[in-house]
Amino acid sequence: MNEIPVIQRVVAVLWPSFITAGIATILFFTAFDPGVVFVEYDISRLGAYSTGFFLFWVFGAVTAISTCFFLRPCDSFNVRKKERCE
Amino acid sequence: MSEAENIQTAATDEVEQSLYAKRQKIYPREVHGIFAALRTSGVLALLGLYYIIPWLMWDGHQAILFDLPARKFYILGLVFWPQDFFYLTLLLIVATLSLFFFTALAGRLWCGYACPQTVWTEAFLWIERKVEGTRPQQMKRDKESISLKKFRVKSTKHLIWLVFSIFTGLTFVGYFSPMRELAVNFVNWNLGPWEMFWIFFYGFATYGNAGWLREQVCTYMCPYARFQSAMIDKDTLIISYDEERGEPRGARKKSVDPKNAGLGHCIDCTICVQVCPTGIDIRDGLQYQCIGCAACIDACDDVMDKMGYPRGLVRYTTENILSGKATHIFRPRIFVYAVILAAITMGSFYAILDRSPIALDVIRDRNSLFRETNEGLIENVYILKVINMDKADHEYSLSVTGIAGLNLQMDAFDIMVKSGEVVELPVRVNIDPESLQERSTEISFHLNALEGDDLSVTEKARFLGPRR
Repeated sequence: MNEIPVIQRVVAVLWPSFITAGIATILFFTAFDPGVVFVEYDISRLGAYSTGFFLFWVFGAVTAISTCFFLRPCDSFNVRKKERCE
Repeated sequence: MSEAENIQTAATDEVEQSLYAKRQKIYPREVHGIFAALRTSGVLALLGLYYIIPWLMWDGHQAILFDLPARKFYILGLVFWPQDFFYLTLLLIVATLSLFFFTALAGRLWCGYACPQTVWTEAFLWIERKVEGTRPQQMKRDKESISLKKFRVKSTKHLIWLVFSIFTGLTFVGYFSPMRELAVNFVNWNLGPWEMFWIFFYGFATYGNAGWLREQVCTYMCPYARFQSAMIDKDTLIISYDEERGEPRGARKKSVDPKNAGLGHCIDCTICVQVCPTGIDIRDGLQYQCIGCAACIDACDDVMDKMGYPRGLVRYTTENILSGKATHIFRPRIFVYAVILAAITMGSFYAILDRSPIALDVIRDRNSLFRETNEGLIENVYILKVINMDKADHEYSLSVTGIAGLNLQMDAFDIMVKSGEVVELPVRVNIDPESLQERSTEISFHLNALEGDDLSVTEKARFLGPRR
């Protein structure tokens, strides 16, 4: 795990979430017109598309970063205990 | 500390170091030759198209404009609506199949010649060479400590990169917001916040990807690089080093006959490594970092010419040829891909040309399922959206079928929709409850253009009544 360069880790979180956010934005706003759905908020369509895109990106990045977190080898959490035993 | 612990610490240190190890910057050496010329023409053509297209007009509107605020896409003479999402799916299928077809045929043609990452990186490398000089000059300068001259050269390069990137971002937004107005507003610094944001966001992405990340985008971000092995086989054209002919490699004088010296044709000059934009050694075999740019072919051919050896020590070849077997470029796989690709492409064109220029959306009134009128009739309320995607204005008539005795009531019976517009119609449909057999019945709305029978659309809806 440690042989993976930092840039690869950063990219592994930000890049797939960027792609899925793009797809999600297209699908969501094809089905729902922000001019109709968010009519009570004072926001332009372009603003709604952009905000939607970044929200999707944040959601995707949170998912990706959680996946990376849970992929850490279980043993890596026990280091302290091992040191104490020795 | 015991010896074992010492080794353990040393190993950990090494891992720690590699974790924080700085990436080795790659300085691709400039290369000339057939493939370099092909790539340069590809870069010029693609960048030219990218920067020119938003300025072109068609029939009084921008030739290609993805008008997000109006939810309409203009592509030459065609206008696409959210209702036409299906065609985007077709387009993606065609793109995927093309990738399969070309990869099976000749490997990573896309990466080497057409990928935006390659195209913009080439442009950025060209700027870098113009400002900073050749590969040895760049490497020497990067080793020097900071001086006024180094600072001046570096900041000039970054300034040109940034200006080019922001122009790229401006052009990108020009595909979504009318380019001519956008350019004027940009110059006057009078843009909407989101347009401004996307110009700088896209510009920054260009600067980062083509200026700094470069080959790391291909290595770490590109999924295609990782699954290409599933698309190529032993008959696929790949760029490869002819090990049989090249080995054993070694330096020698031009006058020495390699046969007598016990050497192969590779003189181990490492120029193929120096020109590689991803910094690999093609002599190590097929690697997933290889983007198939063929710079090493040009470089090696040049060296072979100078040595008086035949060209093609590094060349486009197939695994079958390299292992001395017969190769078949036109094999069943290529044929099947070609047939499916051609069929779906033609099908898509036909579907687009045969598109009905009217669309009807039926939305049920959300407030009530049904209501009873003063006369004791059961009434449902719908909102109808009539979209005229034709170039001419049209007048339509509406009718409803599904249950005998349905009455259609509207405020106005002549439905006039101008070209490219959407009209919302609230309509009421009522019926005598005696005629209703079920709680929920399917009904159909029919919309016909008055001047022609062929222009019509039917949309289904549900009519709800009381429980029986």
